[in-house]
Amino acid sequence: MLDEAKAILKGLGTTFKALAAPRDTYPYPEKRREYSPRYRGKHMLAKDEEGHELCVGCGLCEAVCPAHAIRVVAAEAPGDQPVSWTNRYSVDYEVDLIRCIFCGMCEEACPTNAVRLTPFNELAAYDRQSMIADKQELLHPAIRK
Amino acid sequence: MIRLTIDGQEIEVREGTMIADAAARLGIDIPVYCYHEALGPLGACRMCLVQVEKMPKLATACTTAVAEGMVVHTTGPQVDKGRKGVLEFLLINHPLDCPVCDKGGECFLQDYTFRYGPPQGRFQEPKIQKVKDGPISDLILIDQERCVLCQRCVRFMDEYVGEPELLLEGRGVETVVTTVEGRPAQSQFAGNVIDLCPVGALLAAPYHHKARPWNIEREESVCTLCPVGCTTLTTGRDGRIVRVEGRPVVDRNWGWLCDRGRFGFDFATHPSRLVNSRLHGREEAAARTTREIGQWLREVVAQEGGEAIAVVMGGLHTTEEAHQVYRFATEVLGTRRLVVSRDVPGYVPRGLNGTFEDLSAADAVILVGTDPYESAPVLHLRLRERLKNRRAPLTLMGVAPRNLSRSTLPVETLVTHVGQEADVLAAALKEAAGDHPAVAALLSQGAGIARGIDPTQVSQLSRVLREAERLVVVWDGVEPDVEHVLAALAQARQGQTTRVLPTFGPSNWRGFERAGFDARFDALTRVLEDARDGKIRMLILWGADLLKDYPDRRLVEQAYERVEWLLAEGVFVPEGAEHFDAVVPGAAPGEVYGTYVNMEARLQIASPSVNPPGQARPTKSYLTAWAHALGKPFVVDEEWDPYDDASGDLLPEEPLPQDIEAIRAPDLPEGGVELLVSAQVWANGIPSQILEARLEAAQIARISPLDADALGIREVGVIRVESAEGVLELPVRVDEHLTPGRLLVPLGVGALPVNRLRPGVVKVQRLEEVQTP
Ligand code: SF4
Ligand code: SF4
Ligand code: SF4
Ligand code: SF4
Ligand code: FES
Repeated sequence: MLDEAKAILKGLGTTFKALAAPRDTYPYPEKRREYSPRYRGKHMLAKDEEGHELCVGCGLCEAVCPAHAIRVVAAEAPGDQPVSWTNRYSVDYEVDLIRCIFCGMCEEACPTNAVRLTPFNELAAYDRQSMIADKQELLHPAIRK
Repeated sequence: MIRLTIDGQEIEVREGTMIADAAARLGIDIPVYCYHEALGPLGACRMCLVQVEKMPKLATACTTAVAEGMVVHTTGPQVDKGRKGVLEFLLINHPLDCPVCDKGGECFLQDYTFRYGPPQGRFQEPKIQKVKDGPISDLILIDQERCVLCQRCVRFMDEYVGEPELLLEGRGVETVVTTVEGRPAQSQFAGNVIDLCPVGALLAAPYHHKARPWNIEREESVCTLCPVGCTTLTTGRDGRIVRVEGRPVVDRNWGWLCDRGRFGFDFATHPSRLVNSRLHGREEAAARTTREIGQWLREVVAQEGGEAIAVVMGGLHTTEEAHQVYRFATEVLGTRRLVVSRDVPGYVPRGLNGTFEDLSAADAVILVGTDPYESAPVLHLRLRERLKNRRAPLTLMGVAPRNLSRSTLPVETLVTHVGQEADVLAAALKEAAGDHPAVAALLSQGAGIARGIDPTQVSQLSRVLREAERLVVVWDGVEPDVEHVLAALAQARQGQTTRVLPTFGPSNWRGFERAGFDARFDALTRVLEDARDGKIRMLILWGADLLKDYPDRRLVEQAYERVEWLLAEGVFVPEGAEHFDAVVPGAAPGEVYGTYVNMEARLQIASPSVNPPGQARPTKSYLTAWAHALGKPFVVDEEWDPYDDASGDLLPEEPLPQDIEAIRAPDLPEGGVELLVSAQVWANGIPSQILEARLEAAQIARISPLDADALGIREVGVIRVESAEGVLELPVRVDEHLTPGRLLVPLGVGALPVNRLRPGVVKVQRLEEVQTP
């Protein structure tokens, strides 16, 4: 009898200790964790100060990607409306976020520092198609709150 | 022979060999920019530095001839230092824009810099800025900043092609490659400078920013646009062919192409490309079309047997496809009426067929009827290279209804009347070897008069026929009797070599012959006559377009009208679409694996770099489906190949033709303008959007300035041509080089249906003159 009451008290003791202890979980999404500044999440395509796309469509990221997640189609940059800082740009740029292993090699290979991995990691969708990020999506990256 | 040591290996080479070539024979790679074996040494880039013992300084391997006992080191600290220095200098003003450069990834400046170059340049000053992506022509771009001034391009155009359209301008670091007075380069060989340029300075405009070397399918292939059959590399990207490059074959060719072949690859993606089946002139599902065709085939075979069906092979099909059609026709349908689509009546027996090696070794070449510059451009380059070899002089003569001489290739031409070439050749042969039984047989009907031809020229020709040790005849097949003269000539010249290179098409006709088809013109004519006479119920055209090609349009029309079923397979809808019951879309070159046989009777393999578009299917898909509909087994024999173990990549040798047919002297016209046809790669009826402007400019009839004057045409006009067979309206332009009294019309152009008339004298009248601004 006494033994049993002792066991209950011990159990409760653990419970009350845990109640007061600092928490390991986060009340996501109301509160979010701070990540390392080197965290690699979803890609973005950067622009320069004048708003020109940095990507020249060289395809080096496509070539280096171990997961074959990137597709680049290059073309002569349109002369009338300067979208690019030079005469070549990518008309089409896609990252398949299901294939991507977030290794960051694309970022490392890029000669113009155009493709970058942002900390944004809220990657979920109802179908595979919407997990392919196209150029417009990458040019306007989502911000992690 | 000279013995020397390179990197510890001994080698013996001919006197006068350069160290670079000797090293190449040992498999030692010496980096070069300016040196190219076809162009000879120059020593402009200094990239090829090597160390030669007993020489005080590093020597350029491309300009230093070997010497007895020479000891060469192609590696070592001194050599590395030299190359490093050269590269640092080359990169001083180089823009380093590899990421936007089409050559990036396949560039010798990149490769050598990675291997030998300095990791960092010491030059801090701003780089000199020059023209980027400027035009050399509508097809070629130049980025002067990337140029390493190796001069390959300039020398190729100037010395090798003989059309000096590029030059170096400026001095020192300001030197740039540009065109003469900024005019766009027009030469049909200009595209080769793209392949020659070791860096990304000269670029193909249609390929600009299209792809990178690692995301393409680059396959060994063959150009099928003319019978030369140049070896190519075909680049496919995302299911489209985007580039064609020359592919050098060691000891055989330098990999030159003409611009027709280099940029004319887009016919497969042309808007007029057939990508859906057509039934009675309307697009129809492939399955339904197959069902219908199967029904017709069943009906004809059941009622009259396979002999009521004839198959005409043509177009750009491979030898393997032709063999599949052959087997289907003989085994499933049971017909032996298997012929090849022809646009000229001539034929060259295999026993007479020569190779390009024969051409290089020849001491005399006779062009009969054909101007290779127009009919087989790279053959023109080969002739020029042969002519420039001063160690072995070449006699170059021509027998043709027009002057064949060009500034780049002077030809002593015997200008005949239309249809007189065989007679003139026979006359020269009579003088050279009149008593030979073969010649006597040839002349037994009285040919060999050469009326109106300067006798001294005939004697000159006869001397060539008699004395040339190795004679090569290049012939366009327009005048069929020439075949018999050539056979007799080969017999009379037993002991000396006599070889013929045919420049007529379809480009793979010899391959069709190998597959079992009868390539003789007469066989085709018989089939058409039988069709006209109602002996054939079904005519199947496999890639062929007879209305466009066959020399007698009337006969084709009658045949088309008479046959019950007219089927076609092809890349385009054949002319006279209203006649066809069904047209099915086939695969084009670059979309199937197979071999092509060129004018040398040489087999060359082509691998596909894309898939056929839309509903287009390779030949075997149709054949198996149709055989299924007929309820007969038909398994495509994938193992079959056209090669012969003994003859390697040439088709098996055959003996010289023995029976000599006598020829008659032609009835010669008196005065008047003579209509003359010729095959021309720039006007061969195969469309291209990239080359649209150039093709349009070439698809026109031509008259001499003298005749133009008489008609009152200054540059371009429209004329009315009349002969016994009918009337034709043709656009014409003035051609300075054309012999007066001739009207030259390209063969196989839909807009110039010259096969309504026969070659010979015509009445010409001006309809209007077109002013060009
Ligand atoms: S992060 Fe790695 S896997 Fe993802 S796209 Fe870039 S290279 Fe490919
Ligand atoms: S993102 Fe960078 S590496 Fe990728 S294609 Fe653009 S410029 Fe090249
Ligand atoms: S353009 Fe190319 S081929 Fe011509 S000189 Fe410059 S580097 Fe040489
Ligand atoms: S010469 Fe003939 S085969 Fe060669 S590239 Fe030109 S068209 Fe093609
Ligand atoms: S390759 Fe020898 S100097 Fe250019």
